[in-house]
Amino acid sequence: MTTTTLHHRGSAAIASGRVTFGRVLHAEWIKFWSLRSTAYLLLATVATMVCLGTLGAWGLTAAMDDGHPVTDAMIHALPSGGLTFGQLLIGALAVLFISAEYASGMIHATMTTVPARTPVLAAKALIIAAVSSVVGAGSALLTYAAVQPLLRPDGLDFALSTEGVAGSIARTGLYLALVALLALALGALLRSSAGGIVTLSALLLVLPTALSVISGDLAAEIAEYLPSNAGDQLVAIEIADDALTQLQGGLVMGAWALVPLLAAAVLLTRRDV
Amino acid sequence: MIQAQHLTKRYGAKTAVDDISFTVQPGRVTGFLGPNGAGKSTTMRMILGLDRPSTGSVTVSGRPYAQHRAPVHQVGALLDAKGVHPSRSAYDHLRAMAATHGIPRTRVREVIDLTGLGPVAHKRVGGFSLGMGQRLGIAAALLGDPQTIILDEPVNGLDPEGVLWVRNLTRQLAAEGRTVFLSSHLMSEMAQTADHLIVIGRGRLIADAPIREILDGGSSARIRVRTEEPARLAELLTGAGGHVTTAAGDALEASGLTTRQVARIALDHDVLVHELVPLQVSLEDAYMELTKDDVEYHSLELATEGR
Repeated sequence: MTTTTLHHRGSAAIASGRVTFGRVLHAEWIKFWSLRSTAYLLLATVATMVCLGTLGAWGLTAAMDDGHPVTDAMIHALPSGGLTFGQLLIGALAVLFISAEYASGMIHATMTTVPARTPVLAAKALIIAAVSSVVGAGSALLTYAAVQPLLRPDGLDFALSTEGVAGSIARTGLYLALVALLALALGALLRSSAGGIVTLSALLLVLPTALSVISGDLAAEIAEYLPSNAGDQLVAIEIADDALTQLQGGLVMGAWALVPLLAAAVLLTRRDV
Repeated sequence: MIQAQHLTKRYGAKTAVDDISFTVQPGRVTGFLGPNGAGKSTTMRMILGLDRPSTGSVTVSGRPYAQHRAPVHQVGALLDAKGVHPSRSAYDHLRAMAATHGIPRTRVREVIDLTGLGPVAHKRVGGFSLGMGQRLGIAAALLGDPQTIILDEPVNGLDPEGVLWVRNLTRQLAAEGRTVFLSSHLMSEMAQTADHLIVIGRGRLIADAPIREILDGGSSARIRVRTEEPARLAELLTGAGGHVTTAAGDALEASGLTTRQVARIALDHDVLVHELVPLQVSLEDAYMELTKDDVEYHSLELATEGR
């Protein structure tokens, strides 16, 4: 068919190529960016977060014009205001990062090239966490910039150096990274795109809403430790007396990310591909 | 070389692969033949470390697949031609696989050219025909210039030119001293490609022999003889230890004797023979004969009357 030889001209050079974690990371990086859906979902995440934050600012100024009280804490929280929906989009991307491999059968090629399997999950985790934290913090920063012109007429605009603001923006990135890790773990555990995304949505949106309509201390207690509330506390600037602190919220959210991820790693080595 | 020892895979109560042992030797094409559901794919998945055997073991080049530090250079495999993300290009798919072993992009280009994927290399795999998918799978299998090549149904969906190409490629790889192991349910293709056959049915090993031996069918090889004295010759052949199976008109079908023995008997007794043909069993017949008790799904024989 062609005159190309079967052998690589530098066979000795390629024969020495072993699987290393750096190489697995490189391979996963190529896989991540070679799908158009990656860029679309990331852009959608940024757009959603900025739009929701901006809407929030608009709502606040309107409320103030109507004579409702508006606190500094409410205004300073605007940059992270788009998290509620932003987390679902980036979460879907993280689920798909692994579940799509099961759906297409690509997982066979992936796991035969890297038979140790866990380096693949670790590389995916590293990539999705890094990208999500950049997207989260970047979106919060963009939102900050976008809301200032809306707040200025009412004299509500604030500097980036205002106490707690920069930290909250950075922690918005951290929260999205942890949500993405939880989502990746769900994708790996359930091996199904639909199953992973539905479970993630249930955990992030449906469960907190359901618990809020149930009265009783137990429901309230559980709701406090759900990812959504833990995440709110993580990015919060002011903490109510009996609520989780930023650190506590971060630790709870960290557990939500790491426990499923470790379970996924253990099952990945035990189960047949 | 692939060595399987007492390989068994159970899924709950169902045994997909039942205590099979075989060796796939380098330097020849070994066909892996069996009806659907016989356990071919499961066996291949166990060879590649994707499925864990319930009992038994299998090694490639002396050690379990997962223990190779550069597996792609040891074994190249095509398991599932559609096993590529449909939105990724063939080039990116191969580039990502190559990256795990630090294989340079020049080699990615080489396997793309080798498999004739050049014109579509940057197109989304989702738009590929099954044949193009097979070529991509073969390109991926060749990426690491491996010693062992495992192909599951490689000619599935290929056009005649593609089938010929796979046949020549596998024969060339074997001629270079590599171990080539390919599964198929296409017996005619196997007859033209494989040197050696491993046949399984319902998870059990049915045959492991050179293809010639399976085609000859051992002692059941039949010979057709046409003569003017069929009744007398039939008697003579039976007397010589042969077994005459059919006699219609002036033709006889005998087994248990070689053509040379039949000719000698006819000459000695002055019987005129005007045709003497060794009837080679087609691989299809041999395969049907081997697997008739081991086919998992029997089709209803509706077509019998129409034949």
